[in-house]
Amino acid sequence: MSSRETTKTTEGLEGAGTTRAGSVRLDRITHRYGRGGEAFTAVGPVDLTIPAGEFLVLVGASGCGKSTLLRLIAGFEQPTQGSVRVSGSEPRPGRAAGVVFQTPRLFPWRTVRGNIDLALRYARVPRAQWSERRAELLARVGLEGTEKRRVWEISGGQRQRVAIARALAAENPLLLLDEPFAALDALTRERLQEDVRRVTDRTGRTTVFVTHSADEAVFLGSRVVVLTKGPGTVALDLPITLPRGDVDAEELRNSREFAELRGQVSHAVKAAAAA
Amino acid sequence: MTSPAGVPVPPAPRPPARGAWARVRHGALPFGSLLLALALWQLLAASGTWSETLVPPPARVWDAFVDVSTTHDGVRGYNGTYLIEHLGISLRRIAIGAGVGIALGVLFGLLMGTVGWMRSLFEPWITFLRTLPPLAYFSLLVIWLGIDEEPKVTLLAMAAFPPVAVSTTTAVAAVPTSLVEAARALGASRWDVVRDVVVPSALPETLTGVRLAVGVAYSSLVAAELVNGLPGIGGMVKDAANYNNTPVVLVGIIAIGVSGLIIDGLLLRLERAVVPWRGRA
Repeated sequence: MSSRETTKTTEGLEGAGTTRAGSVRLDRITHRYGRGGEAFTAVGPVDLTIPAGEFLVLVGASGCGKSTLLRLIAGFEQPTQGSVRVSGSEPRPGRAAGVVFQTPRLFPWRTVRGNIDLALRYARVPRAQWSERRAELLARVGLEGTEKRRVWEISGGQRQRVAIARALAAENPLLLLDEPFAALDALTRERLQEDVRRVTDRTGRTTVFVTHSADEAVFLGSRVVVLTKGPGTVALDLPITLPRGDVDAEELRNSREFAELRGQVSHAVKAAAAA
Repeated sequence: MTSPAGVPVPPAPRPPARGAWARVRHGALPFGSLLLALALWQLLAASGTWSETLVPPPARVWDAFVDVSTTHDGVRGYNGTYLIEHLGISLRRIAIGAGVGIALGVLFGLLMGTVGWMRSLFEPWITFLRTLPPLAYFSLLVIWLGIDEEPKVTLLAMAAFPPVAVSTTTAVAAVPTSLVEAARALGASRWDVVRDVVVPSALPETLTGVRLAVGVAYSSLVAAELVNGLPGIGGMVKDAANYNNTPVVLVGIIAIGVSGLIIDGLLLRLERAVVPWRGRA
């Protein structure tokens, strides 16, 4: 709850800028792995501003450095050059953003409930509020009644839902997702996409989502950025004008605008990968 | 293991290994092998190839077992102590010695697994200690610590320490970075990561180390009780051997072996209860 209050005060003081809670600013960043002759540039140079409340999807072929970009925003790595700012300051893991990884990364020694509780503790939520918050988080990802289950007793899709609930526990104004649905079957993937779209629309938090699927990008994003390959730079920056909020997902996926946008993104991804 | 009608009863809730074969494998086979061994032993003893002092028949060992477990002709058990008391005193030594060794092993394992220079500093010493047979340093312990409880408990601790230290170090060093990162992404501090990720993820291997350690301590028991070991099951074996009392030696060996089996079984159950995720994630 306290993070929401902080959000309001910062907005009041700073106004609408790139220092607002949840906003991301990448200033001419480059990231290299290794040193000397062995070094290779994974990303950069990239300039990118993500205003608070936006749902940005990073698309690109594998190896284009989109995961690296996400790790830089999360604060797991520091850029070799340039600067990263999240809500106006240098990102620190666990403070800058909630993160959902490619695999759920749940703690197997804890139940579903235990995994969520750990996140609530790290987020410094008072213990008296845990059961209420836990129920609320599980309801948000459609997992009511699974609290006592062991993580290996639930399906892959459910595990990723727990991971999302866990990442939402701190109510960070920024949510980062790194190809979270890549390992799921098509049906589960579509349902989770719809859920993520709904959850983020409702709470209005900034979201950065990495994927290699043009389809997923257009469905989820309010803006899609396509990266070139090795090193990743911005090839296409496309606003997505599809309706958000309470919409029929099936109708949206079958609409002509959706097909057009997906074609555009898909074309850009292929061109970027070939270049 | 058999019902009143003489039908073998399948041991309770084991995972199904299917029908009659499962019943044979879990019930009849271990029991049968025990009977076969007893029969062979009886045959060997009856054949008269060796003297009764060298290979006493099972019946004489049974008599010795009854002798050391009861008061007869005014003599209480063996050397004034019942078998069960000998065993109890030894188990207490093992509990204290192995307990200290295991606690130190976990502590050193955590330190060595997380801090690189500590590992470089201590690992050669632990490997050195691990390769020594406990008998080799027992004389030294007697010189330093006398002949009472101290050298015995210290020997057991020294024997139990390396397996736990080594397995904990390996497990801690191999903690999946993906889970450490996941915890950090949730806002965990360094200490949170140790408590909530490193320790639980190292637990399965540490417990395997504990089982090994208890085994090593057990097998060092007779060595630990070589000097002034009475009362104590190892001391009893040593003392009986001095008088060529083979039946009592065999009673002692069987008592050590059977109690060891029971303790290992209990540790295995503990492991299953504490780390149910083992092999699952």
